[in-house]
Amino acid sequence: MAVIEIQHLTYTYPTMDHPALREVSLAVEAGEFVAIIGPNGAGKSTLCYTLAGFIPHFFKGELRGEVRVAGQDIRRVRLEDWVLKVGLVFQNPFNQISGAKFTVYEEIAFGLENIGVPREEMRRRVEEVMALTGITDLANRSPYALSGGQQQRVALASILVMQPEVLVLDEPTSQLDPIGSREVFQVIRRLAHQGVTIIMAEHKVEWIAEYADRVIALADGEMIASGKPAEVLTDPRLPEYGIGISRYTAVARRAAEEGLWPPQRRLPVTLDEAVAGFRAVEEAYAHTR
Amino acid sequence: MAERLSFYLERNSPLHRLNPTTKLVVAFTLILVAFLGRGLFLPSLLFLLILLPLSFVGQVGREFLRTTLNLLLPLFAFLFVMQSLFYPGGKTVLFGFWIFAVKLEGVRFAFLTATRVLVMVSSFLLLLLTTHPGVLLLDLTQRGLPASVAYILASTLQIIPQMQAKAATILDAQRSRGLDTSGSLGRRIRALLPLVGPLVFGSLVDVEERAIAIEARGFRSSGPKTSLIEIEDRPLERALRWLCLLALILAVGSWWLWP
Amino acid sequence: MKLIDSIKKDFNTMTLVLIPVAIAINVVIGQIVVLLRLPVYLDSIGTVLVGAICGPWAGALTGTLSNIIWGLLIDPNAFPWFPVALFIGFVSGWCAHFGLFRTWWGVVITGFLVAITAALVSTPIAVYLYGGITASGSSFITAFLLQTGRDLVSAVLSTNFLVEPVDKIATALLAYAIIRGLSRRYLMRFPRADNVMPKKA
Repeated sequence: MAVIEIQHLTYTYPTMDHPALREVSLAVEAGEFVAIIGPNGAGKSTLCYTLAGFIPHFFKGELRGEVRVAGQDIRRVRLEDWVLKVGLVFQNPFNQISGAKFTVYEEIAFGLENIGVPREEMRRRVEEVMALTGITDLANRSPYALSGGQQQRVALASILVMQPEVLVLDEPTSQLDPIGSREVFQVIRRLAHQGVTIIMAEHKVEWIAEYADRVIALADGEMIASGKPAEVLTDPRLPEYGIGISRYTAVARRAAEEGLWPPQRRLPVTLDEAVAGFRAVEEAYAHTR
Repeated sequence: MAERLSFYLERNSPLHRLNPTTKLVVAFTLILVAFLGRGLFLPSLLFLLILLPLSFVGQVGREFLRTTLNLLLPLFAFLFVMQSLFYPGGKTVLFGFWIFAVKLEGVRFAFLTATRVLVMVSSFLLLLLTTHPGVLLLDLTQRGLPASVAYILASTLQIIPQMQAKAATILDAQRSRGLDTSGSLGRRIRALLPLVGPLVFGSLVDVEERAIAIEARGFRSSGPKTSLIEIEDRPLERALRWLCLLALILAVGSWWLWP
Repeated sequence: MKLIDSIKKDFNTMTLVLIPVAIAINVVIGQIVVLLRLPVYLDSIGTVLVGAICGPWAGALTGTLSNIIWGLLIDPNAFPWFPVALFIGFVSGWCAHFGLFRTWWGVVITGFLVAITAALVSTPIAVYLYGGITASGSSFITAFLLQTGRDLVSAVLSTNFLVEPVDKIATALLAYAIIRGLSRRYLMRFPRADNVMPKKA
């Protein structure tokens, strides 16, 4: 059974007159890494909030269709219970610091205190998750005295420590500098290898191409493409919808126009694919000489 | 603007190692005894014989004195002048100049008032100098302070320095654009709005995401909560707290015991 | 509705997260005002804001905790005055409940009512603590009134009535300006947003 089942999801925010999501259907298996791409306003964040239960419970509004995680219907479960199944990390690292605690260690344990985990187990879980996110040396620092990348890793750790079944990430690196982004992606990669079910909204297509099992493209609230990264990320419709494509794809597309890309070969989304493609072209030319 | 978490100074003193509630109880006892007890010199004795020595035991003596003076000297000077000259019902004139007359009853009242306030402020100050706010909040929460109140206090203490830094940045930016923060009253009033606007709206916008973030951490969970850290409390300190209650009763009772 | 339900209604998650921000606004603006040497306090803008959009109980809590934070960070002299801050928050919420936060003149009335309450509540505290005289400009007025033969309590009361209104009306108007600057979508997340929304026909 799929961990996440969404059928014909249509959602309208309370003060809006048109839906933010239209007839979105999606099934995600345990351990899958699904990336969501789309222009601003397409509904990526709305979909993330829905998976995390904040829609409909926090935002209210009109929700139609079915949303199930681990077999449970989102409408029938209270938000306070749903957050234990689905963890959410979003863009702004600063806003995810609770403020309730004065050290990183306590900050990470905060969620476990709230749900009544015994002290010994708390310590074990916190130390485990700090090692996983590479922040063990930050344990006694104030959460406010950290860089963006460090804060975002604390946010990740604070959610992971609660052991959710699904991890939802809404553009986790868009407010970080390149170093911070790299640090966060390293952690996410580790999680993906460990088989955590991850849904991530993201703009950095090159990164998605390397690690996602599946990509979903949203535009104007609708799902316009869904499939393997290689297919979706080279879909010619993407630029029409204002979705950025990877540098490698762009270069290869331009090269194809000049006849410098193997005709039947699919456009690359990663550096390796691009190199392989250009090498093939080079060999083809070498043969014709 | 000071960018610190509170008055707290980190030291390794016996006072620092005391349970926060003990310090709270002692502080309140001293204050209540000063205000409810008998005797013109009681508050000053409490300060000189208990608070001042304790501040040195807590290794914060110098800061204690300096801050107490800073906080109270202006107030005291003012009180003394006002009450010596204008205390209603004052009859015994000590000396006079021009149209003013300094009355004994006024001076006595000023002294009592001032030393009582001294005990109040310095008791709290000593508590704050020797107790980390996080530790105090943890202890109070253990004893029943609602988690939401602890959250509000901790959160406020941590975001104020952030907001002060933001305010300083906005102030600099506005000044470099020609904002006049000295000068006439009208100019200074007009300087307020371009400072307040960005500061306030910037922080209000974050409220929604921060609410989502703490919900995501199970903050509104209705089950029983556990705590990572337990604050130590010793039987000796419990006894001390009961002694404080006794002292308070004696102080109030002194009005009847000694005619 | 029952009292306990009325209290609970004020406090959803948005309220809990707004309060620290409101207190921080109180403190930081209060300090800026000192920096600019303005003859007002303006250290309750956040309290009035919370009272208006979250309700009187949330306002009362904000005022009380704001006072405690001020004492913790800046000056422990502030602690005994917490009832004043409490009532500032409570009265703001009460006035908003009766629709006074829908127009600018309603807000001026609110400011005035808050000032009266602050004067009434602070007078017994001032009389008990300092014998009626506090280190503000108004004390000269107190002194003058004392010399002309009035008793202590009425002298202090009259003084407080003179100085408070300007500060509190300005505070209420600034809180109102902030509310007007917030989007409808945002305001609706707070428990008593209908206090500040125009009445629907």
